[in-house]
Amino acid sequence: MSKIAVHDLVVSFGKLMALREVSFLVEEGDLVFIAGPNGAGKSSLLRSIAGEIQPRKGRIEIDGTIVTGAGPEVIARMGVSMVPEGRRVFSTLTIEENLMLGTGMRRDKAAIAADLEEIYTTFPILKERRTTSAGALSGGQQQMLVIGRAIMTNPKIVLVDEPSLGLAPKVVDEVYNQLCALRKERGLTLVIVEQSTSRAARVGGKLILLNNGEITRQGRVEDFADDDLISGAYFGMESGE
Amino acid sequence: MNLQLVFDALSLGGIYATAALGVALIFGVMKLVNFAQGQFLAFCVFALIIPSKDAVAVMGLGAAPAYVLIPMVLLIGVGLAVLSELLVFRHLRDAEPVSLMVASFALGIVIQNLLLMTYGGRPKAVSLWPNLGKPVDFLGAEVPLLQIIVIFTIVLMLILLSVGLKFTRIGLEMRAAAENFGMARLLGVRANRVIMMAFAISGVLAAMLALIFVAQTGVADVRMGSSIVLIAFVATVLGGMGSLPGAVLAGLLLGAVSTLLQAYLPVELRPFRDAFLYGLVIVVLLVRPQGLFTLSSVSNRI
Repeated sequence: MSKIAVHDLVVSFGKLMALREVSFLVEEGDLVFIAGPNGAGKSSLLRSIAGEIQPRKGRIEIDGTIVTGAGPEVIARMGVSMVPEGRRVFSTLTIEENLMLGTGMRRDKAAIAADLEEIYTTFPILKERRTTSAGALSGGQQQMLVIGRAIMTNPKIVLVDEPSLGLAPKVVDEVYNQLCALRKERGLTLVIVEQSTSRAARVGGKLILLNNGEITRQGRVEDFADDDLISGAYFGMESGE
Repeated sequence: MNLQLVFDALSLGGIYATAALGVALIFGVMKLVNFAQGQFLAFCVFALIIPSKDAVAVMGLGAAPAYVLIPMVLLIGVGLAVLSELLVFRHLRDAEPVSLMVASFALGIVIQNLLLMTYGGRPKAVSLWPNLGKPVDFLGAEVPLLQIIVIFTIVLMLILLSVGLKFTRIGLEMRAAAENFGMARLLGVRANRVIMMAFAISGVLAAMLALIFVAQTGVADVRMGSSIVLIAFVATVLGGMGSLPGAVLAGLLLGAVSTLLQAYLPVELRPFRDAFLYGLVIVVLLVRPQGLFTLSSVSNRI
């Protein structure tokens, strides 16, 4: 049984087709990159899985359960946590409130406290400023906060939408180090959307290339020819084929 | 400035703030400007009276002792607000804010006409706690006891609400939902629970205002509540849509300015007080269209 199974997913906004019959599987513990140019439908795909967008057709399964049409809170409660594009911290809440917000569905009080302590150890800046407004953090710090916030829901699957957007390369490296460490440590299934494939080339895992709402190619990163990945910093139709 | 004026400003401002909170709470979580809030208020007023079209109101629930009457009226307010969410607004969750607003207008008119059918259209004299109108000596000023109770009650409500929002799980969820509902849901916050809670609180606030209005004016009128909801809406816009502290502060400000205008405008201009009040509102909005108390980081959302 796959962790995530997407079958013939069609998503449209009015007349605009965002996804045309997209199908793929994600297995437990996978690291999957979804890459493609602007408007390829990457975010729509991720948001459909998270329940934020209702698909027009097709089926999404999580752990074998059909979740198509379920609201985002239902999917979150199944252990799927989304780190959206643009980070979306709650700037009127404190850092600690941001972190605790996602624990409402958990009953394991001791484990919640342990997770919080772990996040504070990983990102000391968050502990230092735990009672200050999250809006005061820098972009990189906000990215750490939203990753921490996602972890606090005790997820099995984490969906990350363009974590490198608007961050300095050094900060992006750190974000990826943390994501990979968390994945290893907690056995997470990680699905990451990025515009470029360069990060996938460095980190490994599976790669799904999306263009114009369709999957042009998918497979293990190492199976993609090297030239594909190098030229793929900004993906056009040709390089994916 | 005399103390009486301060009390007038505080009590009117507090009433506006309470009404504005009811509007802002629901707007924050579901982008609905609930104009039916005014009719929730009127409904709570008429719940005190035995249904009849006679000009003289016979108290039903209104004759009960306060410790029965107050919780019952609050419960009725909560029930009506929650029921309207369940029957009407829940099914419009994905509708445009304008459609939601029109639905709330429609619901308000339905409730108003239900009251008209049951009680008739003439305002009725109602006597609720007449002893509270007596002036008492307070810090050297003669102030009606009712006014002190109104201010005290509203302050107590604001404290309870702030504490609840700050220190409870549902409070945290409501604050998060007011800032970014979509993101809150992605973190497992249940939309229905948060919205239901917002309606329940707005029902309590409407019931509170209903009791205050009846005690102050001694009248039950199906139209009461319509004008306060408009002021509440203005206050929420002035405070910055979706900001609860903003709504409270703007409500207080509107009440205070209104009281001051009433006191200090030349006598022949006093009947047109609202023209000055709303003129000031226009000026404020021209200078700060995003509202007085909006954070720049939140304003782009609305």
